[in-house]
Order: sequence, then C-alpha cells, then structure tokens
Amino acid sequence: MISQIFILSSKGDHLIYKDYHIIMKHFRGEASKDSINVFYEMVTALSGDQTPVVMVHLCSHKDLHFIHVRQGGLYWVASTKTNPSPFTIIEFLNRLAALTKDYCGSLSEKSVRMNFALIYELLDEMVDFGYIQTTSTDILKNFIQTEAVSSKPFSLFDLSNVGLFGAETQQSKVAPSVAASRPIMSSRGEQSGKNEIFVDVIERLSVVIGSKGVLMKSDIQGEIRIKCFLPTSSEMRIGLNEELSIGKSQQKGYSSAVRVDECRFHQAVKLDEFDTFRILKVCPSQGEQTVMQYQLCDELPCAPPFQLFPSVQKDYYIVTSQLLFFTFSCSTALNVSITVPVPKGSVSMSQELSSPDQTAELQPKNKALLWEIPRFPGGAQLSALFKVDVPGLSSASLLEVGPVSMSFELAKQTCSGLQIRFLRLAPTQTGLSQRWVRYVTHSDSYTIRI
Amino acid sequence: MTDSKYFTTTKKGEIFELKAELNSDKKEKKKEAVKKVIASMTVGKDVSALFPDVVNCMQTDNLELKKLVYLYLMNYAKSQPDMAIMAVNTFVKDCEDPNPLIRALAVRTMGCIRVDKITEYLCEPLRKCLKDEDPYVRKTAAVCVAKLHDINAQLVEDQGFLDTLKDLISDSNPMVVANAVAALSEIAESHPNSNLLDLNPQTINKLLTALNECTEWGQIFILDCLANYMPCDDRESQSICERVTPRLSHANSAVVLSAVKVLMKFMEMLPKDLDYYGTLLKKLAPPLVTLLSAEAELQYVALRNINLIVQKRPEILKHEMKVFFVKYNDPIYVKLEKLDIMIRLASQANIAQVLAELKEYATEVDVDFVRKAVRAIGRCAIKVEQSAERCVSTLLDLIQTKVNYVVQEAIVVIKDIFRKYPNKYESVIATLCENLDSLDEPEARAAMIWIVGEYAERIDNADELLESFLEGFHDESAQVQLQLLTAIVKLFLKKPTETQELVQQVLSLATQDSDNPDLRDRGYIYWRLLSTDPVAAKEVVLAEKPLISEETDLIEPTLLEELICHIGTLASVYHKPPSAFVEGSRGVQHKRLPARAVITLVKRTGLSGSNMGAGLGVAPAAMPASLGGAPAVGGGLGDLFDLGGGVGMPTGSYVAPKTVWLLAIKAKGLEISGTFARRGGIIQMDLSLTNKAMSVMTDFAVQFNRNSFGLAPAGPMQVLTPLSPNQTIDVSLPLSMSGPVMKMEPLNNLQVAVKNNIDVFYFSCQYPLSLLFVEDGRFYRQVFLATWKDIPNDSEAQFQIKDIHLNSDVASNKLQGSNIFTIAKRTVEGQDMLYQSIKLTNGIWVLAEMRIQTGNPNYTCTVPRIVYASLLHSQ
Repeated sequence: MISQIFILSSKGDHLIYKDYHIIMKHFRGEASKDSINVFYEMVTALSGDQTPVVMVHLCSHKDLHFIHVRQGGLYWVASTKTNPSPFTIIEFLNRLAALTKDYCGSLSEKSVRMNFALIYELLDEMVDFGYIQTTSTDILKNFIQTEAVSSKPFSLFDLSNVGLFGAETQQSKVAPSVAASRPIMSSRGEQSGKNEIFVDVIERLSVVIGSKGVLMKSDIQGEIRIKCFLPTSSEMRIGLNEELSIGKSQQKGYSSAVRVDECRFHQAVKLDEFDTFRILKVCPSQGEQTVMQYQLCDELPCAPPFQLFPSVQKDYYIVTSQLLFFTFSCSTALNVSITVPVPKGSVSMSQELSSPDQTAELQPKNKALLWEIPRFPGGAQLSALFKVDVPGLSSASLLEVGPVSMSFELAKQTCSGLQIRFLRLAPTQTGLSQRWVRYVTHSDSYTIRI
Repeated sequence: MTDSKYFTTTKKGEIFELKAELNSDKKEKKKEAVKKVIASMTVGKDVSALFPDVVNCMQTDNLELKKLVYLYLMNYAKSQPDMAIMAVNTFVKDCEDPNPLIRALAVRTMGCIRVDKITEYLCEPLRKCLKDEDPYVRKTAAVCVAKLHDINAQLVEDQGFLDTLKDLISDSNPMVVANAVAALSEIAESHPNSNLLDLNPQTINKLLTALNECTEWGQIFILDCLANYMPCDDRESQSICERVTPRLSHANSAVVLSAVKVLMKFMEMLPKDLDYYGTLLKKLAPPLVTLLSAEAELQYVALRNINLIVQKRPEILKHEMKVFFVKYNDPIYVKLEKLDIMIRLASQANIAQVLAELKEYATEVDVDFVRKAVRAIGRCAIKVEQSAERCVSTLLDLIQTKVNYVVQEAIVVIKDIFRKYPNKYESVIATLCENLDSLDEPEARAAMIWIVGEYAERIDNADELLESFLEGFHDESAQVQLQLLTAIVKLFLKKPTETQELVQQVLSLATQDSDNPDLRDRGYIYWRLLSTDPVAAKEVVLAEKPLISEETDLIEPTLLEELICHIGTLASVYHKPPSAFVEGSRGVQHKRLPARAVITLVKRTGLSGSNMGAGLGVAPAAMPASLGGAPAVGGGLGDLFDLGGGVGMPTGSYVAPKTVWLLAIKAKGLEISGTFARRGGIIQMDLSLTNKAMSVMTDFAVQFNRNSFGLAPAGPMQVLTPLSPNQTIDVSLPLSMSGPVMKMEPLNNLQVAVKNNIDVFYFSCQYPLSLLFVEDGRFYRQVFLATWKDIPNDSEAQFQIKDIHLNSDVASNKLQGSNIFTIAKRTVEGQDMLYQSIKLTNGIWVLAEMRIQTGNPNYTCTVPRIVYASLLHSQ
C-alpha cells in the first residue's frame, strides 16, 4: 500500500505532500518530511545506468521504497513500506499526472502550485489510507468542489491559430496542439469551453533493417486516445476500418485488410458492435484517456517508410555514403535525424549533402555523426557523403561503423493503415460540438544495419 | 486571484494575520485563509498554532471549506490531541448529515486522526456508516476499519467490526466489496493464523462476480486476494482461471500482472495434458509481450517479472524471442534485462537469430552492455551445443576488433567453452595468445593463464608466456596469483624437464613473499605434493574436471516458487522474498505454489461420528500427489503399482526408495535419509544415518511428535557402534500405533526429532498411507453392496491415476501385496470394475471402486477410478 505521495519540482521543492499515516507512526512530524529530501538526494544522484523505478532507503532497519515517474518536469513520487505492486503505483502516478493535467489544463510547476488545494482534494478522493479508490473523472466530478485556476501563457501558437497572415497555413488544418491543453472543468458559470472532442491515432514504429536491406523486424504499437471536453458524457461511436482483422489470420490472400495482432481496450468501451461492424462505443469521461491499444509485429502492410542504402569504404579515412529514400508518397516526414556511429578517435569530417536545408555534424564524444533533415517530402530521395578522418585506422575500425539509427515523425499517417471511419455523437448531445481526428506516427527505434 | 500567491515568502506577523482572517465573517475570506494555512503546511512551516482557529471554521455548510479544514486536521490532530477533541462533536454530527459526501468525509477524516481519545468516539458513527444506505459511505467506512485496526487492533475486534467487514464482501456494490477485501487482506496479514479471509467457493464466486464490475484498482485488490486462495481441485482452479483470463486484455498493466499471478499459480493445479492448459499457455504470451510496449520504467518492471516466468515456464514465451531484441534507444537497464531473457529463451530453433543479434550488440557503444553481450554469446555456446562452433567463430571475429574490453570478455567466456567442450576448440588458442598484452583485467588474465596451464602441452612457448606473467607477480590480484601458481605447477607436471626453475620460482614467491594465506597454503600443498609423490601430484592437479552446468544465474527453485506467488510486486522486481525487505511480521508467511495433483475430488465431506473419518476425506488427496510429481512424497496407489519393478508378481507391500529427510548442512554433519515399510504386519521406518562431519557421532535416540495415526517408535533406535566420519549406517526402527493422536496437516505428516552427542535435530517426513493398511482388511462380501449403497454421496471422493499399463488382474494382485483387497469384480462395457476394501490400523474401513478401461493397449489402465468411501466399522 502507498504510504506517502508527493510531488516535487525539478529543484526539489515540495509542491504537494500527502502522508497516509503509516510512516508517521515511525517518524512523526518533521522527520517524515526528511524522506522527501532523502528521495531528492537519491534521485539527483542517479546516473543514467540505474533503474529509476524503485529505490530503497534504509532508515533504522526500516526500508522505505520509492517509486517515481517524471512528468511535466516534476517528480511524482510514492513511497511504501510494504510489498505492493510497482505496476499499480506507476500506473497510478501516471494517472495522477494525467488527471492533474486534465483538471489544471497543463502540467507544470506553476499549474500545480496554483491548484494545490484542488490536487489535495483530488488525492483525498483518489487514495484512502493508501488504497487507490478511483481515477475516473466520471466518478470524481461528483466529489470535487474546488475549481481549477488555469494559467493562460501568451503563446505565439495562439496567434498562428487565428491565421495571422490571412493565409491558411498547413497547421491550421490540423487542430493546434495547444487547443487541447485547458482544464476540463472550466468554470461552471460561463460556458466558455468549446464542446470539443479530440481523437488521436498515435503509432510508434520499431524497425530493424538488416545489412542487405532485408526487413528483419518491424512492429507497431498504436493507440487511440480521446481527449474530451464535452460537458456531459454521452455515448460516442467510433467506427474503425470495416476490414480490420485481429489476430494472426491464416489466409492472407490478396485482400488489403488492415490487421493488428492484439488489442486492448479501456474498460469503459462497449464492444458489442465491434466484432461485426468494428465500432467502438464509448461514453468518454472528461479528460484524456486511451480507449484502445493495439500492436502489430512483423508483416507490416506497407514497406518501411525509409530505405537507406549505406556504403562504407576504407581509404586513408573512412568514406561513408548514404542514400536515403522516403517511400511514402503522400506524406511528409518531419524532424528526420540519422545517427551513424563512427570509429573511436575520429577527429574530423567533411560532407557533401544533396540539399541546403540539411545539416550534419560529427560528435566525437558520442562516437557518432548526426545528419538532420527538418522536412522530408514524400517520395523524395536524398544522398550524403561523409569522409571521416580517423588517425590510426585499422581494418577493425570498419566494424565500429555500426548500425544507423533514425528518428522521425510522420504526420497524418498511420503505418498499420488503421483509420477512423467516422465519429458519431449521440443525437442527445446539445449544442455544436467539434470533432477532431488526428493521426501521427513516431519512430520508436528505427535501425538500419550496415 | 491565483493560489500561487500563498507561497510567497511570509513575514513575521503572518500567523497573526492569518488568525484574523480565519475569524473573519466572510466565507470567502475564511476559505482563502485556510488555503494559505494549508499552503504553509505543505512547504513545511509550522502552523499548528492556528489549530483552534481552523477548527472553528469547521462548522460550515460550505463543502469546499469543510474539506480544507479536514485536510488541516488530519495533519495536526496528533500534535494537538486536546484540541482535536473539540472537533469530535462536529465529526459525530457530520456522520449523520443528510449529504452522503459529508458523512463519508467525516468518517474518512476521523480514521486518519491517530489520537486514542478520538477512536472511542469513532466507534458508534463507524458502525452506522458501515451499514449506510449509500455505497460511497460504506466503502469509505470499510477502509476506516483498517485505519482503526492500525491504531487499536483490540478495539476493532472487541467492537465486532471484523464481522461487519466480512459481511461487506457480499455487498451489492463492487466498490464496497473491493475495499472490504483490501482492508481484510491487510488486517489478515498482521494476524497470520486468523481465519479472517475465509475463502471458500462461495466467497470466491462473489469475488469473481464483483471482479467484472468494479474499477480497475478494485480489480487489483480482488485478484491479489484470489491469488491467496487454494482451490480444492483442478476443476475449480480451471473455472477460476476461465473467469480471470479476460482480465489479461485490460488496459491497466497492474491488472494484467495480477491476473498473470493468479493464472500462474492456479496453473500448477491443472494437469498438463488438459487441452485447457495449452490454451491458457497461449493466452498468457500476448499480454506479457504487450507490457514491453510501455514506458521504460514499466518495461523494466515487466522484464524482471518475465524473467521469473521464463524460468518457471519457458514454454509460454518460447516463440516470442523477437520482442526481447534490444532497441538502440532502450535505457541500459532495460537492455541488460532483455539480454538475460534472450539467453534463457535461446534454443536450437532460434539460436541463429539470437547470435546475429548478439553480434550486433557487441559493437555498440555502452561498455557494460557490450560486455554482457559477449558473455551472452559464450553462454549460448554452452547452452546450445549445436551452436558452439558458430559462437566460437563469432567470438574470434570480435577478438579481431582488438577493442580491449571485448577481447578480455571474450577470453573469459572462451575459457568456459573449453571447459564445457574439452578437446574441441583448442585450435583457437594461438589467436588468444596474440592478445596476451592487451589483457589488463584480473578476470581476463586469470582466464588466459588457466588456458595456458590447462593446454600447456600444446603451446610451445607456454613456459615463456607464464614466465612473463611471473615478473610482476606481486602486483597481480590474488585471483591471478592463484591461477598462475596452479598453471605453472600444471606446466611442470606436463613438461618436468624444462620448467624446474620456473616452478621453484613460483613456489618460493607464493610461500615466502606473499602474505595471502590462501596463496601460501596452496603453495605449500603443491610443494609437499611435488616433493613427496609426483605421481599423486599428477593425479590431484591434473584430475578430470567436472563439466560446468548449462544454466547460470538460475534462481533457486523454492525462492522461485515464492517469487511466482508475488508476481507483480516489489519482491518480483528485487528477486528477493518479501520477508527480506518488509518490516516486522508482515508478509513473513512464505507463499507456496499449490502441489500438482492428478486427482479430481468430486465430493468431499467428513464422516459423521469420527474425527479421523473427517480427515480421511482429505487423505486421498494426499496420496496421489505423489503420482504426478515426486515419488518420494507420501506414496499412494501409483507407487503401489511400482511401475519400474517386476511386473505382476506381488512381492509384498511397496517400499519407496529412500529420500533425504535431513540435510547434513542443517544438522551439523548428520544426514538422514529414509523410507517406511510394512513387513509382515509390522511397520518399520528404515533409516540411513551418514556422518558427514569431522568428528565421531554417538548416543543416537529418536522421538516422534504426536501425529494423526499415533505412530510411535516401538523401541529405542539401535545404533550400537559410534558413527565415524563418512560412515553410513542403516537402521530399521519398528513402529507401533500406540502413540498420542493429533490431526496433522497434511494427514500423513510426521515430525521427528533425532538426538546425538552433538545436538537435537528436527525434521518432518510423510509416510505413505498404505503403511496403515492392515492384513485383515477383507470386507464381508455379502454385505459389501448393501454397505456401499448406504454410504452418503457426500462422503465420496474421486480421483484418477494415470499412465499405468497393467491389466485388472495384475493390478489387483499388486494391490493385494499392499493389503488392498479386491472383493468383487465385474465387467461393464469393456470396463473392469474392481470393488475393493481397505482397513486402517485404527479400525476405519475404506471401500473403493476401481474402473479400468481395457481395449486400447496404450490406455489399458490409464484411467482407473477409485471411489473411496469411508465408514466406521463397528465390530
């Protein structure tokens, strides 16, 4: 069971501190607060190699276990003296952070400070005597009295949203990212909050391409996330691709069916129409929630988004040329960065890049060179030639030019082919409600071996 | 106005100002003031002086203000107990408020105030709230019982709150059930022997129903509680598994892991040939794989758990090797855990894939990870023989990179490969020798020296190589020094003529100039050996070495079992039992997996009139436990059939082979193994006593604790001669049935104390029930059928015995040897039905029916069925 919960700023200030009394028995008063400082010392002393999940603090033969997550630049920490499930606690802390974000609009030191009374109230309803009671906004909204105080920082994004220059920019077609960051319970009196609902399909792509261009491993982890600002909860129907199939099917044939290996649903999702019509029925509670998670291992329906044709030669220095091809024709990749490991002791590099907006630099500390492409149009092909100067070059040095890794973001695109066919709200819903559907694919781990 | 202003630094008169504001007439102002007080409290300022003023704000109908005041009270009531009493009246009043939110709030807050005086006032309101009409109040009250128990356990018991809490398990609201279960579980932990959470099929059924309806967090409480239940047979455990399985697709990973824990535990009870068992195995894989798509923190926790699961049941994830391949952006602690699991899952089928991955990892940047990857290649070679050659060539490739730590790590693992496959890969030694200079770590140097010494006869310049190490002998670490000493002695024994000088040199270095006692002692021993008997020295130093084992880092089986029972908890992350890190008495009970049993107990109830009969209901359960697994325990009908022994000839009662009952390490060198036998109507305990200590043992004596059937030694244990070191003596101890009787759990458990001149040692063992079957156990044929029919259905038990290839006559003969008598036989539809009787030493009769299916030769007697019915025979 949870003994204490606290939220610390990145500097170690106590923002929220809640003791479920079990500790107090042994330490009492001020001493119990010391555990927070102990935690902060421990967490800042962590090197990257240590597991951040669980830390033990030995205090006069009584172990105190800290479990924490970092979100919004804050430490969300729970401590315990018993043998609880770390999964429960991590899930809970993540949920607590998400709820804080839902209630306060954004997640920052400032918003937590401004809304401490609200957060205490939330915590009281969510955890009793260390037992987690509920984390559902539907239930919580019956109990919570305090109103959120939201901060409205001045942001250029808001301006661009208005269409400042008269031209319809690329972004304004997509819902702006700040639009979704406001408290779910905007003051009851004024109906300032728009009736909006956001449905995001987010996929993370992991690919390993072997040295001969063979696809060795690929998998997609996807989720459908809803952020709901509707004042009353009513049933919503989300239609997915009708041809979606689940599980490894035997006959594949030529059908272009969209397939996922396995999916998990939020417990509020009703699946009675899912088997036949692929319709998810859900009464979204206010705030953010993941309604469906799915994954697909191997057998991607499309070719991997990037093909890299590297070649490495040894001369007086190492010459590596890279040819990069973006296979998706109708999408644009943003923030593409490619990391190529280079041998130890590389001192300098000369480069030839195929277009001016690209950059490349050698990072001798990381034994790598970094090639960055801010915007990569679909179907395009880029090339680069790097000459790396390595004193004391040997044949073994070539082996150190290891696997190339890439990171990127594909907007308006899912690799699994999963699509939201429609989004229907129950007709009882009064007032105009805006519905947004967004797709994005991130690279999780995209590796090309040489 | 925002709340952040409360945090701005405060000046001297702040408390005074707050006091004034708290006493203001305006509600808004009051609220703001209380908020300021709480803000100060949060940052650690002492605002206890304001206690009376804050308490004054308590009587308000504004819920928000009330909540704030309660928050303050929880923190400071302890330091201001007298003031806290002032609040009691409001609490009691609030507990009767028409608004359920306020009732619950009052009960919740009162429980958090750890002041003894308040607890007395709490009892009445709590009693009311436990029966409140609103479920929100009831669920809060349920937790409050746990709080109160933590403050004053006696009070809770005296007031009968525990019984009310038990009643709440049957509540209509799932949230109330979940909290009641959580509270009871915690209270039960501090009373290990209490029967608080009396789990029986009815309550389990209620819990399973609530499971489907309550929140995700409630599901976790309920699943954790279910995991402590012991199903009484495999059907029940299957039905629980079926109802828990849907939880595996829950979005909350904590729910998934708790469900996995329940399934892993109850799977133990399922027969492996059951179709459902296979289905369940398949269903467990996808959720575990999905856990790996979570954030790194959760992945790490998941991997630590998967590591346990893979050790217990590798078949679950054997096809999922790919998900454990590391991603370049995994944190290092995730990478290392993944590597560990990859090696555990490595098999002939996937070794090529694994090796290709490991080779990639060996060129990565992170040193720790690269080292572990190289080591993993070596472990693969040792584990999968077919891959050894490929592993060795991969390692040689890596040595070519000349990356210092890669070379060193490779040499360390190649040493292990040499030990596993002697005389196979020695051709690579030349390559290894080339890298001698780059070795700077003791472990690698020691490994290299071992290789040189071990294969001295094949390395032409072995003496030069070793001599080069000898130059800096004193600067080496102890590990290297010891290895060097041994290697040079080996070299000397193999090439005595050329290396006389070298061996002299190392022996004098080791014995004269070193202050390490291990090194000196080893040096002296070698010296003596070499100077007195070189032939003996050769036998000792160049002796055949035992092969090294395949699996390393395996968790010890009993610990693994316990950890499996704690899947998803901190224990499973630390890989330590909870008792190792949880304070005090809590959680000290060691959990165990249920024993695998091949039986199906259909009906099981006690027999009226006889307490022993009540025990017998369980007896069949204890017997066939031995059929499925270890033959050592108990010894039931399966043992009686004695599958390995001479077929068909009844050679008297079955005697199980001796098993070790008392380990030498636990008994100062005395090892006891033994078995039980019934010979000519006399029960004997056959013991082998072995002295593994250095001194002589005398004065042996034995005593039994009270047990279910009153077994006791009929005479003293006859050990006439003293037992000298390393000597074993066999003793037969005749037993009588006249000892004191006490029901044991399991029924056939026997606790024994053995004394010798050193100490008294205790152990427990289990005797086969067949020991108690008497020779005149033939029931009257005429009354058999009538008696059979008179036995009430509910005292029947049914179970199966598997894999017995005997026909009914042979089986019947064999059983007769153990005093199980066949009274009648009848054949119905290809099935032989044997009606049998047994009489126990204490006069209890057992009637049985055994069905043997004939026809299919493979299944001749696979499924005989025995229906035991016990009844008291009055003669």
